This record gives sequence, structure tokens and C-alpha cells, in this order.
Amino acid sequence: MALEGFGLGLRPQHFPDILGDDPDATAGVDWFEIISENFINVGGPPLRNMMLVRERFPMVMHGVSLSIGSTDPLDMDYLAGLKALADLVEPELISDHLCWTGVHGLNMHDLLPLPMTEETVEHVAGRVRQVQDYLGRQFMLENASTYVTFEEDEMTEWAFLSAICERADCNILLDVNNIYVSGFNHGFSTDAYLNGVPAECIKQIHLAGHEHNGDYIVDTHDEPVPDYVLALYEKAIDRFGMVPTMIERDANIPPFAELVRELQGVRRIVEERRTMVLA
Amino acid sequence: MNASLSDLQKKFQDRLLKGETAIDAHLTDGGPFMKAYDHAYKARLVEILTEEFEGLHTLLGDEQFFSTLSEYVDAFPSTEKSARWLGRHLPGWLKSSERWGQQPVVASMAAFEWMIGLAFDAPDAKLIGVAEIGKVPPEAWPMLTFTFHPALNTVELDFDVSAFYQAAKAEEDPDGPPVAYEQPVTWAAWRDPEAMIVTYRPLDLDEAMALKAAREGQTFDGICEIVADHTDADEAAVRAAGLLRIWVESGWVIGLDAEGMSW
Repeated sequence: MALEGFGLGLRPQHFPDILGDDPDATAGVDWFEIISENFINVGGPPLRNMMLVRERFPMVMHGVSLSIGSTDPLDMDYLAGLKALADLVEPELISDHLCWTGVHGLNMHDLLPLPMTEETVEHVAGRVRQVQDYLGRQFMLENASTYVTFEEDEMTEWAFLSAICERADCNILLDVNNIYVSGFNHGFSTDAYLNGVPAECIKQIHLAGHEHNGDYIVDTHDEPVPDYVLALYEKAIDRFGMVPTMIERDANIPPFAELVRELQGVRRIVEERRTMVLA
Repeated sequence: MNASLSDLQKKFQDRLLKGETAIDAHLTDGGPFMKAYDHAYKARLVEILTEEFEGLHTLLGDEQFFSTLSEYVDAFPSTEKSARWLGRHLPGWLKSSERWGQQPVVASMAAFEWMIGLAFDAPDAKLIGVAEIGKVPPEAWPMLTFTFHPALNTVELDFDVSAFYQAAKAEEDPDGPPVAYEQPVTWAAWRDPEAMIVTYRPLDLDEAMALKAAREGQTFDGICEIVADHTDADEAAVRAAGLLRIWVESGWVIGLDAEGMSW
């Protein structure tokens, strides 16, 4: 069954609402996304609650530590854990970020920027193929927010992402907020970005809020999705059609009902666009 | 500018860890927003550790706690895929550090909290029930060994920090500071198999030594000998069997083996 509709990131503080007696509490939430690392080699209440949610909802897995762009060897212990979790959860989709998180055996626990060069395209594409072979399924890469670019860059970010996906035969988790953030920070056209990525590879969309510091934006996921990101999302669905879409909230996490309301707003945007197209 | 990917990554990481600036020449316009990465690294790690060590935070207060964590993050750059494991070296580092080594209450609190965290989300495992112990034939008992649940962990503490920890978790004022033991005491933490709630208690000396030996693969006979050092010789087997029953009923034991014997 292909993933459809609208989802939320699963956060522990929302387990009581999701697993409680009120079926209306999750009205309008079609699926949940888990952070893979939170459940690899883990048991107890976190795993039990996540699996109770899984019994009721489709799920996707989203990682933060694969470090696909690192020049360290792929961590096969991590991949084994990821595969074991995928065997348990049976997610509709599995993703991680187009970034690196550390070298020389260290992890900076951040999504660090890659130089957008032919060398990096070849390096990352090869590793994505390795991951896909190991997992026995297609993988998705998400565009990360970045705050610097490199003098070595040879192409735009959308050309970089597209080249990797084509060469690796993988899909894209398109984070519309991250396009906005990076576009603002580096002064590129967000429309050009949307027009520059292959529509057939976009299998999931992320929306989130951020921290605006005047001359640059930091991708903090601690605020509701701002209207100007939703406006960019409208352009995205005009180009890509209805792609399964979710809101990420990782800090300053509000009550579950508030996120559900915010997600309903996103659903209304899509339905209104559909009505306009049909009219 | 034609640096390789590996060269750029090394220089980038050296800036985050050591403040070295070799990467700057490779950043467009000198990287005016590089500060977003500089600040994020330590702030994120300290934030994660803060959630894991609430008792230590209360014990030290904001200023001492955050400066201690900052030193720790510098001393132990993360090698972990999951941030969950960032604090694994903290108790040992505190115990041997120049700053806190002379105040063992600090390491005791960190070790206690780390043990509880491990009990909370350790992998699940199928437990052995009392009925299965009853099926062990008499001839297998001397060589019987035990496997324990991954959620069961022990620490040796110089201070009784449990009441202070509970108050900190409940965001209440502790009744008083943690109390020093005359001799270090072993505590165990585990996960109640039904309620999945973390439970903990101090162990008597003979139980602590017996459990340590059992977890290291000692046979039931060997455990009886350890217990015999603390009780009358003719009561050792009864005491050891009693301990085993408590361990099984608490949900600590997940495997029995007697040199491959089956029953």
C-alpha cells in the first residue's frame, strides 16, 4: 500500500493522546514518521508505545545519523540496526539526509553541508546504492538546511540532489522549509529549485518552522510552519501533485491537538488547490 | 580551490571541535553564517545530556552543571550514532576528574542516573519464570549458569542519592543532601516486566557479590561459595536459592544453562 495523505512526526510526549480512548484525537492524521535512531537497539516503553501506534497507523522511518556524505566508511552496525528496525516496523518509506555528520569515527550530531561537486555526487550515489542493496529497498534522501556553501561548489543544490538521485536510483524526501531556509541563506531562487528536481522522485514532503535571525535563518523546527513556507508548499504541490506531507516539530513541542489542527490547515490548502484546478 | 571532500570534511570538523579556521578559506564569502554550526554542536550535546541528568543538574546548580557538561563534551567528542549514548562516559569521567574527583557524590549521582536510563529503554528479552527454575533437575544445579535481562544494571555508589534524585525528578525540594555511605553500596536498577516501570534498590553485600559473579557466568555452585563467605555454610545454598528466586521474580533472568544439558 502506497503512503497517502498527511502525517506527523511521532514524539514521546504525544503517546497518551495518540494511544488514548478518544478516536477523534488523531482525526486527520493518516500516518506517523519515527526518528529511526530513537528505536534502534531499544526496548521498553519507547519501543512498546511506538509499536502500539504502528498497529494503528502506517509509518515511515527517518534517520539523522546515516552520514551518507561522510568519507568515513558506512557504519555497517548502524545499517544492521536500521534493517532490523525496518523488519519490525515495515515502514512505507525510509529516509535520511543529504549531508554528513562526522569523520574519523566522530559524530557531530548535526546535518553538515556537502560541497556540491562531481566528486561528492559520485561518492554519495555509490553509498546510496550500497545502502539500498543492503536494505533491499529504495531509499530517500532529504535536502537539508544549510548555512554555508563552498568555493569548490560546481553546481546548484537542485542539480546536485537530482544528479545523486538519478545515479543512485533513489527517491527524494523534499523538505519545503529547508528549500526556503537555504534559499534565503544563499540567495537562490526557490522556484528554480522546485522546477529543477525530478517530480517523479518526490515521495514525501516535510514542512516545519524555523528561527529567523534577520540576515540568516536557522532550521529549528520549534515554531508552526510560517505562511511563506506554506506558500512555497502550494507551488510544490502544483508542480508535484499531492505528495504525502507531514509537519516536523522537534522543539518547543505543543499539545498534540495543536499539531493536529495545524496539519488540518495543510490539508485544507491541498484541498483548495485541488478545487481550484478542477474548477 | 580544489580541496577533496575528505579534506574539506576534516577541516570543517576541526573547526567545530577545536575552533580551527582552515575551513574558512573554502567557504563562500568566508562563511558569514558558519556560526550556526559553531554554536549548534556544543549546545545540542549539552541539551541532550541535560535531559539525561536531572539529578546532577539539581545537585550542581545551573552554572556548575553546564560548565561541567561543557568540559565533558570537549573531553569526549561523540562517537555515537544515537545521541542517547552521549552520557556513557560521564560517571567515570567525573570520578576521575580533577574538578569533581574529590567529591564522589557527583559521580554517584551521574552513575545512578545513567543506570536508570539504561533500565528504561534497554532491549526487551523473554524472561525465565519460577516454573522453569522448578524444572531444573538436581544434577544440573551445580553447573547452572544464568543470563540476565539487558535492562538490569548495577552501580557501586559512595552516596545514597536515591531520595535526592526522586525529588529532583519530581521538581521538588530535596529533604537534604545525599548521604555518604561508610562503605560503597551496590544498587541495581531494572524494568518491571509488567508495568515497564524502572525500579531500583540497594543490594546487601552478599547479594551484590553473588549477582556480580552470576552476571560474569559463575555457576550456582560458585555462587553458593560466595554466599557462604557471608553466612553459615549450611545455610548458603538456601540463601543462594532464595536470591535466585528473587531475581527471577523481579524479571532479571532470561536464560538458564548447564553445560548444554537439556531438561
